[in-house]
Amino acid sequence: MSRYRLPALKRVLAAVAYLFPAMAGAVEGDRVTFPAQGDETGRLVIHAATDLEAMRPLLRDFQALNPGVAIEYSDYVTNDLFREAQQACAAGSSKADILLSSSVDQLVRLANDGCAQMHDSSGTQGVADWANWRNEVFGFTFEPVVFVYDRRSVPPEDVPRSHDALSDLLRSKTDVYRGRIATYDIEASGIGYLLAFYDSRQAPTANGRLLETLSRAETVVRCCNNEVLGELAAGRISIAYNVLGSYAYAAALANPDLRIVLPEDYALILSRGAMIPARAAGAEFGKHFLDYLLSARGRQVARESSFFFSEDAPLPHGVEGPESLTGSGIGRPIRIGPALLAAQDEIQRHQFITDWKNVLLRR
Amino acid sequence: MRRVGFVLVLGAGALITAAWIYARTAADEAYDRLLLGAAFQMSDGLIVAEDSLRFVLPPSAFELLGLAQHDRVFYRVIDPSGATLTGYADLAAEIDLEVSRAAPVFGNDTFLGVPVRTVTVSHAMSMPNGPGWAYVVVAQTIEARRALASELTARASVLVAVMSVLALIGTAFAVRYSLRPVDDLGAALRRRDPQDLAPLQVAVPRELSPFVTSINHFINRLDERIKLLQRYIADSAHQIRTPLTALSAQVSMIDEQKVAPEDRRHLQRVQSRTAELAGLTNQLLNHAMVIHRFDSIQLAPVWLNEVARMAFRNAVPITVDPDMVVSFEPSEEELVAMGDALSLREAIVNVIDNALRHGAVARLEVRVRRREDFGLIEVIDDGPGIRQEDWPNVVSRFYTGSSDTRGASGLGFAIASEVASVLHGRLGFRERTETKPFCVYLELPLIQDSDR
Amino acid sequence: MRVLLIEDTHDVGEAICRRFQQTGHTVDWETDGAAASDILGFTEYDLVILDVMLPGMDGFSILKKLRQAKSGVPVLVLTARSEIDDRVTALDHGADDYLVKPFDFRELEARARVLVRRRSGGDATNLIVCGDISLDRANRNVMVGKREIQLKRREIALLEILASRPGKVFSKEELLDQLFGFDDAAGANAIELYIGRLRKKLDGARARIVTLRGSGYQLISDDGT
Repeated sequence: MSRYRLPALKRVLAAVAYLFPAMAGAVEGDRVTFPAQGDETGRLVIHAATDLEAMRPLLRDFQALNPGVAIEYSDYVTNDLFREAQQACAAGSSKADILLSSSVDQLVRLANDGCAQMHDSSGTQGVADWANWRNEVFGFTFEPVVFVYDRRSVPPEDVPRSHDALSDLLRSKTDVYRGRIATYDIEASGIGYLLAFYDSRQAPTANGRLLETLSRAETVVRCCNNEVLGELAAGRISIAYNVLGSYAYAAALANPDLRIVLPEDYALILSRGAMIPARAAGAEFGKHFLDYLLSARGRQVARESSFFFSEDAPLPHGVEGPESLTGSGIGRPIRIGPALLAAQDEIQRHQFITDWKNVLLRR
Repeated sequence: MRRVGFVLVLGAGALITAAWIYARTAADEAYDRLLLGAAFQMSDGLIVAEDSLRFVLPPSAFELLGLAQHDRVFYRVIDPSGATLTGYADLAAEIDLEVSRAAPVFGNDTFLGVPVRTVTVSHAMSMPNGPGWAYVVVAQTIEARRALASELTARASVLVAVMSVLALIGTAFAVRYSLRPVDDLGAALRRRDPQDLAPLQVAVPRELSPFVTSINHFINRLDERIKLLQRYIADSAHQIRTPLTALSAQVSMIDEQKVAPEDRRHLQRVQSRTAELAGLTNQLLNHAMVIHRFDSIQLAPVWLNEVARMAFRNAVPITVDPDMVVSFEPSEEELVAMGDALSLREAIVNVIDNALRHGAVARLEVRVRRREDFGLIEVIDDGPGIRQEDWPNVVSRFYTGSSDTRGASGLGFAIASEVASVLHGRLGFRERTETKPFCVYLELPLIQDSDR
Repeated sequence: MRVLLIEDTHDVGEAICRRFQQTGHTVDWETDGAAASDILGFTEYDLVILDVMLPGMDGFSILKKLRQAKSGVPVLVLTARSEIDDRVTALDHGADDYLVKPFDFRELEARARVLVRRRSGGDATNLIVCGDISLDRANRNVMVGKREIQLKRREIALLEILASRPGKVFSKEELLDQLFGFDDAAGANAIELYIGRLRKKLDGARARIVTLRGSGYQLISDDGT
C-alpha cells in the first residue's frame, strides 16, 4: 500500500515536505528522542501515525509537567504502524507504550483482536461516548473534514457550501474546474479510504453523483493532505475536497488565499486514536501520557498549537459554521467502535477501492 | 423467629439463584437476537455477480452488534468451496457448518482467549458451477450479556433482599399480633378475681377459641361443683331446720302450767337446749354458707353504715329485754370497703348476737366510725367482756372457754373473724376499763376515693 | 286481726296457729301453695305468714303473684332455706320481713305485730322532733342525735304522746288512758316503769322527761323549743 508517510503539518507550512523522503518498506518508524528535561526517571515510547510537528507542542508540554520522562517518538505510516502492532501482538510483546494513529479503524481492529489494554481513569471518563471504545481506544482530537478553496481562482459565487453544491458547481462549470479539484488517493491513504467509506454511507445517492461528477471533472488524486494542500497553495488546483480541518486551518493560516468551507449538509468528524498495547512494557507511562492528552490542559495545547478544532470550544477564527458542530447535527463523528471493523474488512476495502477507482479514475 | 429467618435466607438464596439463571437466559436471548440480526445482515451481503462471489460487509451489521457497546466482534465468511472469504479465518474452526442449513446455530466458544457467543447462519448461493452454501459465523464477546445478567440479578437480589426483610418484619409483626390474643387471655386470667367463675369473655381469633372453650369448660365445671356444694348445704339446711323448727314449735306449745312441777325443770332444760341447738345450727349453716360464698362471689363496694344497720336490725330481736338500752350510731361520712354485704352482715350479726346473749347487761351500742384508712364496726356492751388471754381462743371454732359466759359462743366470732380476714381486715377486741366498756370490732380497709 | 298462714310443716303450723289464736287472732292455715294463692285472690287478710318451700306453688311465686295483683298486705316470709340465699330473694319479691327457721315464736309474734301496725300507721312520713330526739311515726324509728335508739312499742307510744306537745304536763291517768286503753288493766306503776326505761334510753339526748310530783310528766327540750 502506501509508501508515503503522513507529513507533518508544519513542514507543509515551511514547504519542506520533500526534505524527508519516503522510507521504502520500512516497518521501523522514524525515531526522534526527546531527552528528559531533568534527571531521567523513565522513558515513554510512542509509536505514532500522526505527524510529529503537530504532536511536538503536546510532547513538550507533557515533559514540562513530567521533567523526568524522556520520550522516544517513532513516526510511522498508518499501515506500517498497524502491521507492526499486529505482529507484536501476535508475538505477545509490544515495543510501544502507546500507539497514536489517525487511522482509528486500525486501532479498533487491534483492540478487537485483544491487543489493547483497558485504561479507566478520571481522564478517560470525560471522553465523549463516540470517542471511546471499551476504554481501550480513545479519540483525542476533533477534526472536521472540510473543503478548501483558493479564492484567487474561485469566485465567491462559485464557493461550494455543501456536497451537493460542489456537485452542481462541477457539473455546471465542468470546463472551468476540470483538473482543478483534488482529493485523497484512497488507495494510498488510510484516512482517505475511511473518509470516502463514510461519505458513501452518509448519502449514498448524492455521493455516487458527486463521485461521478468528480470523475468527469478529472479530479486530481494525491496521496495525502499535505500534497493536496500543496497543489492548492501552488495554484495548480482551485478546490481541495475532503481535507482534515487541522491541516486545512494550518494551511489557511499560512496562506490567506486559502479558505475553508465547513459543508452545510454534513461534515465528517475524525478523531485520531490512542491505544495502550496489551503488553506494553511501560504501560504506566503510556497511560500517563494518554491522561495528559485527554486532560483539559492537553486539550488546550492541542487546540491552540496542534489541531485547532475542539469539541468543547467554538470553531477557530475565520471558519464559518454552527456554534456546536455535533449539537447542530452537521458534524457527524466517526464513532470509534465495532462498526469501523466493516471498513477494515479486507474484501470490503478491496471492493470499495476498486469501485472507487473504477468510477473516479475511469479505469 | 430464627427459624423464620433461616427459611427466608434459604428462600432468598433460591430466588436469587433463580433470578440469576433467568437473567442469564434473558440476557442471552436479548443479545442473541442482535447477533442473529447481524449475521443475517452480513449473509445478505453475499451476492453472486458477474459469475463471481462478491461480498459487501454492511456496517449496519456492526452497528447492530455495537448496541452491546463494549463487546468485541469477530466474524468469518465462508464461501461454498469451504474457504474463508474474509474475516477471522480461525474463528469457530471446529463448527459443523452444515447443521446451520436448517436453522441458525448458536454456540459458546472461546476465541483469542476470551469466551464468545457464536452464531452460524447459512446462505444458499447459486454459483456458476451449481448451487452451494455459504456461511457466516459471527461471534461476540459476552461482556454485555454478563453485565446485563448481573444487573438484572443485582436488581432482583435487591428486590429479594427488600422482600425478605419486609417478610421478616412482617412475620415478626404477624407473630406478635397473632400471639397478642394469648397475652390478652393471660392478662384477663391474671386480672380475674379468684372468685369469678363466669366464662371468659375475651375476644380471641378463631384459632384460639378451642383453648378458651376448654378454659371456660373447666371454669364451668368448677362453678358447677361449687354450686352443687352450695345447693347441698342449702338442702341440708332445709332438711335440718324444718324438723328443728317443728321441734321448737312443739316444745313451745307445752303449757308449763300444766306440767308437774318436778317435770318443769326438765321442760326448761329441753327449751333451753332446743334454743341452743337452733342457734348452733344456724351458726353452722351460716358459717358454711359464708365461707363457701367467697369461693364464688366477687367482692364489690359495700357501704358500711347500711350493712351495719341491717345487721343491727336483724340481730336485735324485737323481743329483746325491754330494760336493755340498744342503739345504733352510723358514721357521719359514708365509709366504703370492698366486701360482700351478706357475709359482712352475717359477721356483724354474729358479734351483736354474741354480745346480746353473753355480754350486755343493760346496754348495747353498735357504732360505725372511721379510724385512718379503716372502717370500724364496733359492738360495745356493758358486760364484763372477755379476758385478754382468751381473745385468740374465742375466734377459733367451737372454743368453749374455761370460764363461763362467753365460752358458749361457738362459731360466732370464728365466722366474724374469717369474714374479716377474707376482706383483708380483722376482728379486734378492746378491753373494758374504768371509763370505757368492752368492745368487739370489725376493722376493714376502706376504698380510697380515688379507687371508686 | 285475720292472718293467713301458709305452712306445710304440720308441727310448725300448729304451733303458729295456736299462738296467734291464743292472742285472739283469726288464723286461716293452708298447707298447699296453689290453694293458698287462690284464697289470696278473693280474701282480704291483715297479714300473711308464708313458708317458702311449699307443695303446689312455692312461696316466692305466691308472693310475686300477690304483688302483681297490687295487694299491699304485709307478708312475713318463713324460710328454712339457707338464710343468705333466700333473704335477698324474699325482700326482692316484696316480702315485708322474714324469719329464718328455727325461730323464736315470741319473735314471730312481735314482728307480725310490727308489720300490721306499720301498715295501719300509714305510709306518710310523720316526724316529731324535740331537742335532738326525732321520732319517725311511720317507721316507728327513734333517733337521738345520730344514734338510732331501739325502743319498745309502748316506749315509742309514750314518747310519741310526750313529744307531740313538748312542755305540756301529762298526768299519769292521761298517759294510762292513751297508752293502754280501757281494756288493758294496767296499774299506775306501769307508767313509772315505762317512763324509767324511756329516760334511760334517751340518756344523753338534748331533751329530757321531767317528773312533776303529784301532777305528771313533761318532755322538755334543752334547746329551748
